[in-house]
Amino acid sequence: MGNGPSNRRNGRIQHNPVAPPPPPRIPPPPGYPGNVGPPHYPPPFAPNGHHMPYLYPPSYNGPMSAPMGPQFYMPPTNGQYTMNLPPPSFRVQHQAPPAHIPPPVAEAQRANTIRNDVNLKKPTLRLEEDEENPGFHLVSFTFDATVAGSISIFFLASEGEECSLTPLKPHLYRAIRVPFEKGFGQKFRQASGTGVNLTLFDERELSREGPGEVFPLLVRAETVPKDPPADAPLQDELPPGAPLPKYIHAQTTHSIIEKKDDGYKVKVLKQTIWVDGIRYDLQEIYGIENSGGGGGFDGADAGKECVICMSEPRDTTVLPCRHMCMCSECAKVLRFQTNRCPICRTPVERLLEIKVPKNDLLNIDEYGMKPSAPPADGASASQSSSSTSQTSRMDGGTLDTKVLKGES
Amino acid sequence: MSATANSNLPRRIIKETQRLLSEPAPGISASPSEENLRYFNVMILGPTQSPYEGGVFKLELFLPEEYPMAAPKVRFLTKIYHPNIDKLGRICLDILKDKWSPALQIRTVLLSIQATGRRNSEGMDSIVRNWSLNYQDNRCEELKGTVEMHYGPPASAAYRRD
Repeated sequence: MGNGPSNRRNGRIQHNPVAPPPPPRIPPPPGYPGNVGPPHYPPPFAPNGHHMPYLYPPSYNGPMSAPMGPQFYMPPTNGQYTMNLPPPSFRVQHQAPPAHIPPPVAEAQRANTIRNDVNLKKPTLRLEEDEENPGFHLVSFTFDATVAGSISIFFLASEGEECSLTPLKPHLYRAIRVPFEKGFGQKFRQASGTGVNLTLFDERELSREGPGEVFPLLVRAETVPKDPPADAPLQDELPPGAPLPKYIHAQTTHSIIEKKDDGYKVKVLKQTIWVDGIRYDLQEIYGIENSGGGGGFDGADAGKECVICMSEPRDTTVLPCRHMCMCSECAKVLRFQTNRCPICRTPVERLLEIKVPKNDLLNIDEYGMKPSAPPADGASASQSSSSTSQTSRMDGGTLDTKVLKGES
Repeated sequence: MSATANSNLPRRIIKETQRLLSEPAPGISASPSEENLRYFNVMILGPTQSPYEGGVFKLELFLPEEYPMAAPKVRFLTKIYHPNIDKLGRICLDILKDKWSPALQIRTVLLSIQATGRRNSEGMDSIVRNWSLNYQDNRCEELKGTVEMHYGPPASAAYRRD
């Protein structure tokens, strides 16, 4: 051990078959380590803030002869540079942050999940030119549905109570409703001749969300669950955009339309679902596409694994920032170390763990980060849809959707 | 000591090491020491179009027991003239301190360090703040000039191989 650190370093580098050839040997700087002497630190700065009369870094041949050599290096305690023990300078400089965060009480709760019967895949939503009717555009997209239902399309419509949709300019485009069967990955395209002539609309109105929940393009997928009330009117008898009764479930995609040189481009602003008389905002979970839930998982495929252990599939999402980046084991460890999201450093309020058994229902647990965190209110049905207390439920809805997609 | 230390090596460190060796980042090499797989010998090439271009910088990197919950400890062994690096080779970089995140890795840390060669003196801490005040407004060229004045021609200017 007495021959200095660079010696040992050079010796080691050859162990690695892929490593580049060992670098030219760099002799240890004078007085380091080996050169035992009393620690001598010239204070870098005078108390009055002026520079002390020495140069940094010390110059060997420079025009100014500065103090050089040993005094600029901290001699190791015993002339050795032990590997497991970081050198003293490390300990001074980088102290591990103490785990000062009180151990949070892990209150796992079963999060409420909401089954979303139908899901329009946002990136697939397009406006395609109708070849048979030049100047007209047809809406197309891909969607998943676990039950049959119908799709309605509105241009420039406002959303009101109970998800009713009212077109502002019904004379320019009459909302249409098209039935669908259940199935995953279905392609939808409006029938030729039912398209819209977007030149009739004001371009500015199409390109932004208007006041009072007015959206340039609204696509609603409605489904009727197994047991509608006996006296309920058939869904088809209700006009498109009528207020939704409680037993109907729907997903609405709110978009704007941007005119480009090569046509119109749809940009989805948000998606909402309507389940049992409550409206939820759907929020995406970042990283869920790469999570262990879908496809094969192997070590070579980075990006699917927990960012902390790099071994287990991800299953835990940080809330409120919605980064699915950890496995549940690492999430438990993380809670004792920090309260920041590993991806974005947003303070963690809750952790959402999603267990996906092979062919069973979802299992979603939530962990409060703060001991004082109120339990997720599963019975908050009477609260408004934008209430934060329903975060878990909203996310539950998204999860449900996304996992269903994954199964297809 | 090393035998026990290496036997309990977390899978993450093994995987990171494998990936560092099989797909090294451009201009960066990191290989673990044989006695302690938590200690890495690192070589970083100075970024192109910077005063450090052409330089080969040697660093050491140590993964503490708490890693990845705590940041790796990294230090320049090659002497370098840089506002964010002090005379002991200690690096002032936020991600090595309070901005550490377990989502960062050896690779990303080394890339960040390499990138500091391109930066002006942002994010420096008190170690070098006073010293670098004079250089804060300097453009790269001026820094290069200063470096050359002290250390001679480029290629070996901003660092020393002593």
